[in-house]
Amino acid sequence: MFLTRSEYDRGVNTFSPEGRLFQVEYAIEAIKLGSTTVGVRTDEGVVLGVEKRVQSPLIESSSIEKIMEIDNHLGCAMSGLTADARTMIDHARVTAQNHSFTYDEKIKVESVTQAVCDLALRFGESVHDEDAMMSRPFGVALLIAGIDELGPQLYHTDPSGTFVRYQAKAIGSGSEAAQAELQDKWHSKMTLKEAQTLTLRILKQVMEEKLDRHNVQLAQVTKEKGFEILDETSLKTIIDEM
Amino acid sequence: MDHFPMQWGRPRNDTFDAYGTYPVAQRTYNGGVDAFSAGVQHTQQPIVTGTSVLAIKYKDGVMMAADNLASYGSLARFKDIQRLHPVGTNTVIGAGGDMSDFQYIQALLDELMIGEFTEQDGHSLGPSEIHEYLSHVMYARRSKMDPLWNALIVGGFKDGKRFLSYVDLLGTTYSASTLATGYGSYIAQPLLRKAVEGNEDTLTEDEAVKILEQSMKVLFYRDARSLNKYQIAKISADGVAISESRSVETNWSFAEGIRGYGAQTQ
Amino acid sequence: MPDMIALSHPASGHPQQRQFNPYSENGGTILAISGADFSVIAGDTRQSEGYSIQTRYAPKVFRLTDKAVLAVNGFAADGNMFVKQVRQRLEWYRHAHAKDMPLRAIARLIQTMLYARRFFPYYVYNILGGIEEDGSGAVYSFDPVGSYERESCRAAGAAQSLVQPFLDNQIYFKNQVPQPGHPHPKHLPLTTVIQLVIDSFTSATERHIEVGDGLEMFVVLAKGSPLYGLENIDGVQEMTATNDGERLFVVRRNLKRD
Repeated sequence: MFLTRSEYDRGVNTFSPEGRLFQVEYAIEAIKLGSTTVGVRTDEGVVLGVEKRVQSPLIESSSIEKIMEIDNHLGCAMSGLTADARTMIDHARVTAQNHSFTYDEKIKVESVTQAVCDLALRFGESVHDEDAMMSRPFGVALLIAGIDELGPQLYHTDPSGTFVRYQAKAIGSGSEAAQAELQDKWHSKMTLKEAQTLTLRILKQVMEEKLDRHNVQLAQVTKEKGFEILDETSLKTIIDEM
Repeated sequence: MDHFPMQWGRPRNDTFDAYGTYPVAQRTYNGGVDAFSAGVQHTQQPIVTGTSVLAIKYKDGVMMAADNLASYGSLARFKDIQRLHPVGTNTVIGAGGDMSDFQYIQALLDELMIGEFTEQDGHSLGPSEIHEYLSHVMYARRSKMDPLWNALIVGGFKDGKRFLSYVDLLGTTYSASTLATGYGSYIAQPLLRKAVEGNEDTLTEDEAVKILEQSMKVLFYRDARSLNKYQIAKISADGVAISESRSVETNWSFAEGIRGYGAQTQ
Repeated sequence: MPDMIALSHPASGHPQQRQFNPYSENGGTILAISGADFSVIAGDTRQSEGYSIQTRYAPKVFRLTDKAVLAVNGFAADGNMFVKQVRQRLEWYRHAHAKDMPLRAIARLIQTMLYARRFFPYYVYNILGGIEEDGSGAVYSFDPVGSYERESCRAAGAAQSLVQPFLDNQIYFKNQVPQPGHPHPKHLPLTTVIQLVIDSFTSATERHIEVGDGLEMFVVLAKGSPLYGLENIDGVQEMTATNDGERLFVVRRNLKRD
């Protein structure tokens, strides 16, 4: 890896002769260090699951927040430098609110994803009269889940600002194994319940610690109830049934 | 963080507001401030004015008429002013109202036409484009509370189609087969409508000239700010032709019999 | 050109200041009525200022999409410019969200656009008609600064005071007592509505000097709706731009020109 290091590593907005932006690629690498995050889409709704790494028994696990609400009908799970996600989710929230203020309707999942991705490549040096921007690429990937008139949808965004729609997607350190498992197990007739257990099973497989209701978090977006993070009791029931 | 993409600047510099953040998102102004802005005066009234412009559609195109007078209040100040102005090869604009504002508009249009000409892209601005442009200029100036104090008629002929439209200092626009500004809209317009409406496709050039001559004569009798020296513009498939100044025969002998006007002593 | 307004009375002794008046009033009337699965939006085509008719044909009713029609009345320059801006916003929306803006979203958009100019308003009364996402006919009416509500019928403009009471009586059955066992219908059929609209305009033309010359009436039919005999109406013309969606028609009629 160090063989490819060159002066093109330094300028965040400089292409290498091979046509690569190293800093963006490194940012994508940073996600692979993050905790595993899984999203599964079904016709009933979308399930998001994350692993919380509780490195010390003194950590209050409930304070680790890796799934956040964007709007009533939109949720988001992250992996990577989770602090970077705050800027992006903040923007997603404002964009969604602004849309419903101006148009009296819920913003589409793709539109809010696009809005978040518009932020991705706004890094580098800012000019005097411009608002300060990020000095480096965002080091976080998001799974954006939501429901609109096109039904339940799941989008993946990465630091390059690319977004792709998935039926099921895993990101983070255990993503390779997890994605293979999703490819194997996901099917179009899946119920929400099945999606919940599949998500947990996959997290369990790739996690080093033993999975319990403190070190995972599950959320879902459904037509009936919109976005909700499952509380510990309902999480426990699902884990027990698994 | 600034959540309004319109204000982000590089690398996108979006020219439209894809996320509908209007009205909040307006690009912030980073230019200098005019230290004398408080001293800038806006036009509050016209000074040197032209009176009516008349225009009608006829068989082969559009014909317009306007006299050569620019008044300073009730003073007939300039008697050789041309108020019909060709723009490109297919269009004539006629102006009533403030003559300095009209000269500014002429300069604006000349600049526009030169800019378009130098593109050499096979396009040329026709009467409808010029009218659209003028309506935006006039509306933008009225919205700044600094109007261009004119009533303008745009007449033209392009691609086999006649064009005749109006725009004024408020940005109000309309088109019809007969148009008149100022006093002409009260006095000449009814005469023009009677002669033209329904006959646009049959009126000959000679008949159209007669109608305008007659209307200009009536206006000269009735409008104290008019002059018996006027020009007629013809816009047809042959392009623009603006006549030399001409006048009509008038007869004031009837005035002799009017009490208080003629020679009677009481 | 009534362009100036006196700021202080000449007799008050103070130096009199005159100020440019950026507004005018161009007459005319607009009207919209919605049914169960259709909407009718109409306006006359006369444009006037004071006692002068500026033109006998200046449209006040505009097709926005196949399912939305906007009528604007008041100061014509503001109205035309406003419609232009709404259309631009609809196109931007299409690019950003890959769909036509739904009717209720257009209604809200119009509110935000009008209210953005709260302190230099568009001197325009808007009526928006069309078909909602659920397939029902709808009418939204606005004041110049953006207050709006969904109604099933509204008249605005010069002859509002003549037409609205007539519609209240004929559409909402105000001051009519139903026969026992025969309640008033909730929705009227299209042919009845079209006749009411035509009658409204011929009556307004008769009694109001600013109304007349021509009638332009748009009819929007919900997806899959029958024609309800619309094809037999005199001077009807289809304007639908897309397949298998809502259908849009325009009816043009002459009104008295005096």
